[in-house]
Amino acid sequence: MMIRLGQYLPGETVVHRLDPRVKIVAVLLMSPLIFTAQAAGIVLICLFLAAVIAIVHLSIAQTAAAVRPVAFFIIVIFLMHLLLTEGRSLLSLDPLPLRITREGIVQGAYVTWQFICLLVVAAILTMTTLPSDLVGGIERLLRPLARLGIPSQDIAVMISMALRFIPMLYEEYERLRTAQAARGADFTTGSILLRLRAVSSFVVPLLLCAFRRADELAMAMEARGYRRGPRSSLHELKFSGRDFTALAVMALFVLMNLGLRMIA
Amino acid sequence: MIRVEDLSYRYDRETPLILRNITLTFAEGAHTALIGPNGCGKTTLIKHLNALLFPASGSVSVDGMNTCDGSSVREIRRRVGMIFQNPESQIVGMTVEEDVAFGPGNLGLAPAEIRRRVDDCLKMVGMTGLEKRAPHTLSGGEKRLLSIAGVLAMDPKYIAFDEPTAYLDPGGRQRVLAIIRQLHREGMTIIHIAHDMRDVTGADRIVVMDQGAVLIDGTPAEVFSRAGLLRSIGLDIPAGAGHGEGLL
Repeated sequence: MMIRLGQYLPGETVVHRLDPRVKIVAVLLMSPLIFTAQAAGIVLICLFLAAVIAIVHLSIAQTAAAVRPVAFFIIVIFLMHLLLTEGRSLLSLDPLPLRITREGIVQGAYVTWQFICLLVVAAILTMTTLPSDLVGGIERLLRPLARLGIPSQDIAVMISMALRFIPMLYEEYERLRTAQAARGADFTTGSILLRLRAVSSFVVPLLLCAFRRADELAMAMEARGYRRGPRSSLHELKFSGRDFTALAVMALFVLMNLGLRMIA
Repeated sequence: MIRVEDLSYRYDRETPLILRNITLTFAEGAHTALIGPNGCGKTTLIKHLNALLFPASGSVSVDGMNTCDGSSVREIRRRVGMIFQNPESQIVGMTVEEDVAFGPGNLGLAPAEIRRRVDDCLKMVGMTGLEKRAPHTLSGGEKRLLSIAGVLAMDPKYIAFDEPTAYLDPGGRQRVLAIIRQLHREGMTIIHIAHDMRDVTGADRIVVMDQGAVLIDGTPAEVFSRAGLLRSIGLDIPAGAGHGEGLL
């Protein structure tokens, strides 16, 4: 499969069994902490993430796999900060108007750390939560917004449809690519223009196929009684003791971060 | 009972009629096969049975409820299950069990009842143990069985199958046919579009369609005895099923 980014890893750990709502809330709390962390906060967050990674039995390779797809992007951001930050010059890259500064190194490392942390947090969520539970959790969290006219259940169905379409389109893409290659299409050599033309030979059929599939799927959903609005589901989410414990741990963690900031 | 009366259908006013003056009834408990060359309107016909399409003229009613009556549509769709030709594009859930639970969820059933139906229906099609699998990891045959389980979970009275054995290997085909036979034995009303005529020799009744109209309507013996007519519209009778002129 092409989609490796944070794919669900079946497991029986505490984190796997937490209510998806707790995990989503935890991710939402972590993000601002990561973005505003100062020296001591950085250490605290690293320790916390290391503990969670240990609890869910993620190997270093599995954690790295979550970051790898965007590694290029992270490197570019690091280099931009490294080379474009004003400050005390350590090394000047004449004749280019670029120089490496102490501030650049610090800033680059900090931003890189932030991105990696965010990716790891998101990956822990998706690696320990079934996509269907994730969608169920989002749906339940959005449900209070129904009063504002936000249809949480329709949003949940839309997300699961989108997730359902990814492997479907990927399979179709593979099929078309093989079919075109069998008829002599060449996607790997020649000028950019030639390659683009070769690619367009299956982009159009792929789009057509996606529209046809969407049509058929809509009809099949209708045939099974789907209509907008409230529906019930197989798994009703229920809070248990461990969910409250996890929330308490998260609250404590947030307070510790805020406390550290007060001291500093 | 499903009653189709003088049904005609066209996609819009400029296009020719796809269905022409069809009158048919599907009695409860019957196993009716629908055959005919490609493009003769079989699929279009069965889409009328659960209010996915609406007649341009004429009417379709399910247990006395007219499909054009908006307030009955939900109940009609619960009673008339529809298995489409391509199982791939009727699987909605992200896991096998979630997919089977989609229909009951739309009916607003309680989670415990949904669980019971999911387990029963997966058992019925022989997919117990695959509950947590993602649909795209299933084989073609398993996808077909899943699409059947998803419809059974609605607890329908009638099921319309659109070429359920298409794309299947011989083993998968036998399995699907065995499920259809079992459902019929248990009292389900079956409407079965078939491409391969060998699939329908067990039906109580065969309706042959051509160019949007009913050509022959009778028992398998009656239908297969008219091999000449069948052959004129491009259909071949299965070996051993023909009588009289069919043997020539």
